[in-house]
Amino acid sequence: MPSEPRIPTEPTLEELSAYLDHELDDDARARVAEHVAGCADCQARLDGLRQTAYAIRALPMETPTRTFTIPAKPRESLRWAPVAGWIGGVAAAMLIIVFGVTHVPFSPAGTSSAAPASKTSGRLAYGPPQLSQGGAAAPTTHSDNIPADSSRAFAAKNTVTVTDPRNNARRLSLMTNAPTYATDGWMVVDGTMSGDPSSNVGQIHLVLRRGSYGVELPISSETFTNTDSIGFEGTYSIAALRLPAPVSGSYTLTATWTATDGSGVTLFAELPVTIK
Amino acid sequence: MDDRDLVGRARRGDPEAFTQLMMQYQVPLYNMALRMVGGPDDAADIAQEAFTRAWQKIRTLRDAPFKSWLFQIAANLCYDHFRRGRRYGEMPDEESNKVIGLGILTPDPQERAEASERNRLVRESIEALDHDMRLAIILRDVNGMAYDEIAGVLGVPLGTVKSRIARARAQVQEHLQRYPDFFPSTREDAHAE
Repeated sequence: MPSEPRIPTEPTLEELSAYLDHELDDDARARVAEHVAGCADCQARLDGLRQTAYAIRALPMETPTRTFTIPAKPRESLRWAPVAGWIGGVAAAMLIIVFGVTHVPFSPAGTSSAAPASKTSGRLAYGPPQLSQGGAAAPTTHSDNIPADSSRAFAAKNTVTVTDPRNNARRLSLMTNAPTYATDGWMVVDGTMSGDPSSNVGQIHLVLRRGSYGVELPISSETFTNTDSIGFEGTYSIAALRLPAPVSGSYTLTATWTATDGSGVTLFAELPVTIK
Repeated sequence: MDDRDLVGRARRGDPEAFTQLMMQYQVPLYNMALRMVGGPDDAADIAQEAFTRAWQKIRTLRDAPFKSWLFQIAANLCYDHFRRGRRYGEMPDEESNKVIGLGILTPDPQERAEASERNRLVRESIEALDHDMRLAIILRDVNGMAYDEIAGVLGVPLGTVKSRIARARAQVQEHLQRYPDFFPSTREDAHAE
């Protein structure tokens, strides 16, 4: 007895969409095409997706509202390795936004000429901190109080790296410039997220905690970005962190990073920090 | 001259080579940012910052394609933009800007008004997507990137790219179906009769 013609399995939404984009392999493409040819419902689904894609593609390409520029010379290369990241951190620390009671731009003399020639209006917080000029009302800054060696003594004295056991490429490194700080000292934190290029520094949460109490430390800048890794750092005045009295004691600095690939993997890097 | 030659020169500190790369990518990069964050000034800020960072760090670029790397920097800046609490800006009205390419010139005022409204509804439907889906569909349908290029920008597997684009299209389609006067053909039953 002759069998009825067999219509291939109904394609999924993902297959129909990829079929439109010619992004299916030959077998899948042939299977979808054969099914759609004999299935009015799937033909309608496919046409609906196609018209939707056309509607988006019909959006006009617009010209930029201004001319883009670059500084005359690129900055010196920052390498990927954590140690070099620290070296990069030294340079970046010279431009760092110091987080204290108020967030204050800080750029020591001699570094502004190396800063990117950003023509932006200041809406974007990624550009280099700008010194207040002329008679502008400059905010009170803590930068003058930073000990000269707090950001320069950058040998990684307190460091940890955690690795995703299911994906060895995904690593989170965390470092501080010292294991112990005075109550009026400055803590420099640096770190690297590797193996998840779609991440950004916004996904890192830094918390300095003691027992069940903690304060979140805002990350002040990226030190580098490349296709595989992102560096971040921050410099913090211990006195400005609003730690509960007595401030002296043993703390844990925790960096938390949740992967962006939907795996639900969260890496925790923890370092002991003592404040005396 | 292809990207590789220009990147090689730019890595050696040649600003003219990098300027050529900027000229090549400024419109697609700006439009990616524009469709992500909405406001032309914010989009220009992001594009400028992406170019500045790319120039500053081009010596760290090894084997990855420049285009994917550049768009990845801009994508991260878009995510930072959202993270720092900036609202999705007022959607731009392309009639207030200079428009190049792809726009269909319609001399009739009514047709032009309808085209403008269609574009506004499409932008609104993209705005309603979550950031991951929005970026995927923009890279595909605004920038015309292949799936493997998009995977390089997003740093996710091809299957994830496929899924985000498909779900984004389905959501946009659902949104546009509410306006059958403007988008009659996005209705699935429009073709099944």
